[in-house]
Amino acid sequence: MATLARPGSGAPAPNVASANVQLPAVRDYEQVDNEIAASLTPTAGWFGALGLAILLFLWGAGAWVYQIYWGLGNAGYNPPVMWGVYIITFVFWVGIGHAGTLISAILYLFRAGFRTTIYRCAEAMTVFAVMTAGLFPIIHIGRPWKFFWLIPYPNWRLIWPNFKSPLVWDVFAILTYLTVSSTFLYVGLVPDIAVLRDRETNPVRKRILSVLSLGWRNSEREWRHFARMYLFLAAFSTPLVLSVHSVVSFDFAMALAPGWHATIFPPYFVAGAIFSGIGMVFTIIIPIRKFFKLEKYVTINHLDAAAKLCLMTSLVVGCAYLIEFWVAWYSANKFEQDYFWNRVFGQWWWAAWIMLTCNMIFPLSLFSQKLRRNPAWLFILSIFINLGMWFERFVIIVPSLSHEFEPWQWSGYIPSWVDISILVGSFGWFFMWFLLFIKQLPVVAIAEVKEIVPPKLRKAHPHGDHIDTSGRHQEYEPDTPGEFA
Amino acid sequence: MGILAAFRELDAAVEAIEDLKQQKITDITVYTPTPRHEIEEAVHPPPSPVRRFTLIGGLCGVVFGYWIAIWTSDYWPLVVGGKPVASWVPYTIIGFEVMVLVGALSTVAGMFVNSRVPKITMTVGYDPRFSHGDYGIWVPAAPDRARAVEETFRRHGAVEVRHER
Repeated sequence: MATLARPGSGAPAPNVASANVQLPAVRDYEQVDNEIAASLTPTAGWFGALGLAILLFLWGAGAWVYQIYWGLGNAGYNPPVMWGVYIITFVFWVGIGHAGTLISAILYLFRAGFRTTIYRCAEAMTVFAVMTAGLFPIIHIGRPWKFFWLIPYPNWRLIWPNFKSPLVWDVFAILTYLTVSSTFLYVGLVPDIAVLRDRETNPVRKRILSVLSLGWRNSEREWRHFARMYLFLAAFSTPLVLSVHSVVSFDFAMALAPGWHATIFPPYFVAGAIFSGIGMVFTIIIPIRKFFKLEKYVTINHLDAAAKLCLMTSLVVGCAYLIEFWVAWYSANKFEQDYFWNRVFGQWWWAAWIMLTCNMIFPLSLFSQKLRRNPAWLFILSIFINLGMWFERFVIIVPSLSHEFEPWQWSGYIPSWVDISILVGSFGWFFMWFLLFIKQLPVVAIAEVKEIVPPKLRKAHPHGDHIDTSGRHQEYEPDTPGEFA
Repeated sequence: MGILAAFRELDAAVEAIEDLKQQKITDITVYTPTPRHEIEEAVHPPPSPVRRFTLIGGLCGVVFGYWIAIWTSDYWPLVVGGKPVASWVPYTIIGFEVMVLVGALSTVAGMFVNSRVPKITMTVGYDPRFSHGDYGIWVPAAPDRARAVEETFRRHGAVEVRHER
C-alpha cells in the first residue's frame, strides 16, 4: 500500500484513502445540526462580501441600462464578429452550472460518497449560474423585451418559433435545466428546512420555515417516497446535464464556420463544462469550509477526491484540444488548418495560450497527492481554471468569426467597457444570490450527512465490524452516502 | 388519539417496532432524523409508487414535445432546401427536453401525493426532536389498547411516552 510521509516526522503515516469519506470528527446527529445551523449566523465578512457583490451587480445593471438606451452598438461587436463577450459569458455560466448537477445527480447514481458534503453548495451554484447564464442571450438580442418571442405560445398572429433552430433548442434546454435543477435543489432542502423550523424560536421565521418545509415531519413514509423521487430526479438530471451543453455546442457546430463545424463539439463542451464547474466549486467551497468552520464536514479527503475528478476532466478537455488540431490536420481542409494556426500562433495566440496553460498545464499539478490535499493550492488553481475556461469560450467564438473563409472578411475584436461591465456585473449577480443563500439555508445537506454518522445505539456490540469515533464497536454500520433510493 | 414515544437509540426504536408488529399493531408512523435501512426493514413497507408518476409524466412530456414541434411545422408548411417539413431528428431535442421537464415535475408531484405533503398544519403525533436526533413512533390507539402499547414502548427504552388526542 502506498504511504504518504507525515511532514517532519520521518515515519511514514498511513496513506489516507480518498475513498474514505466518513466524517470521523462528527459524533452524532445533534452535533451535525448544531454546527451546520451555526454557520447561518451572519458575520461582518459576509456583509462585506454581499455589499461588494451588490455593488458589482449594480455596476453591470447600469451598463445594461446604458446599452438598452443607446443601443447594441455600444457592445464591442465588429462585423463579422457579432458574437462576443455576451455569448462567451453565456457559455461560461452554463458550463459552471454543470458541475453542480454532476456532483448532485451523477455522483449520486455512482454512489460517490465524497459528494455528500459538497453537493448542496454545488447545486445552489448550478441554479444561480444558470440564472446568470439565462440573462446573456436576453442581453445579447439587444431588445430584451422581445425575448418571449422565442417561447412557443398560442398567439393571434399564428406564428410559432422554428423548432429546427439551435437557438430554440437552447431555450428549451436552458429553461428545462433551470426548472429541474431548481426543483432538485428545493426538494433536497425540504428535510433540512424542517430541521431549521424545529430549532427556530423566532415566530416569524418559524412560520416562514414551516411554509418552506411543506410540513415535513421526517416520517418513514415521507423518507421512502422522498428517496425514490430523489433517485428518479437524479436519473433525469444525468442525461439532462449532458444534453444541455451538447445543445449549447450545437449553436456552434450547426454553423459552417471553421473551427465550429465539428462532431467533437458536444462531448468537448460537456467535458469543459464539468471541468469549469468543478473549478468554481473549489472557488466557493474552500472559503466556505474555512470561514464557516466546516473542516470536519468538507474534509481533505473530500477535496482530494474532487481534485481527482478535476484532473480527469482536465485531461479529457486537453485531449479534446489536441484532437481538434489533429482533425484540422487530417481533414486536409485548408480553411480549417489556417484557422487553427491563426488561433494558436497567429492573431489570437495570447488567448489560446492562456486557455492551454490554465486548462491543460496547471491542472497537471493535481497528479501530486500533496497538492490535491492542499486547499490553498486548490483555491489558486480554481481561479486559473475559471480564467482559462472563460478564455476557452473566447477562443472558440471570436477566432472563428474573425477568420472565416474570405480574407476580406477577416477582422478583430475588442470588448467595449459595456461588455466588460456586464461581465463583471454577472459575477456580482451570481455571488449576490449565492451569498444570500448560504446564510438563509444550510450549505451542507444535514439529513444526508446524518446518513453517514453512526446512529446512537443502546447495545454496544463486542464483535461488530464498525468502530465508532469513540472507539466502541457498533452493531450498525454507517450507511453508504446516498444509498437510500 | 394515540401514543407517541421518543427513543434516543436506533436499536431501541427498531425493537419496539418489531414488538408492535408481533402484537399485530400495524398502523405505525415512525419518525427518523435520516432514513435508516434498519427502520425500513422493521416497517417493511410496500414499494413506492412514485415511479409510475415518473413514467406517465415522461411519456406525456415526450409526446407533447414531438407533437408541438410537428404540429407547428405542419401548420405553416414551408419547405426549405427540399427537406421534410416536420423533421424528427431536430425535434428529438424538443421531445427529450420536454420529457425530462414533465417527467421530473411529475416525479416530485408523485412524492407530494404519496407522502401527503404539503401539510397545512402540524397534526398530533409529532415532536421537533424527531428532526434533530431522536426516533419517534406514533401509534393511534383506543384507550383499551393504549396501556399495552405504552408498556411496549417503555420496555424498549423510550425516553418519553405521551398520550395525544
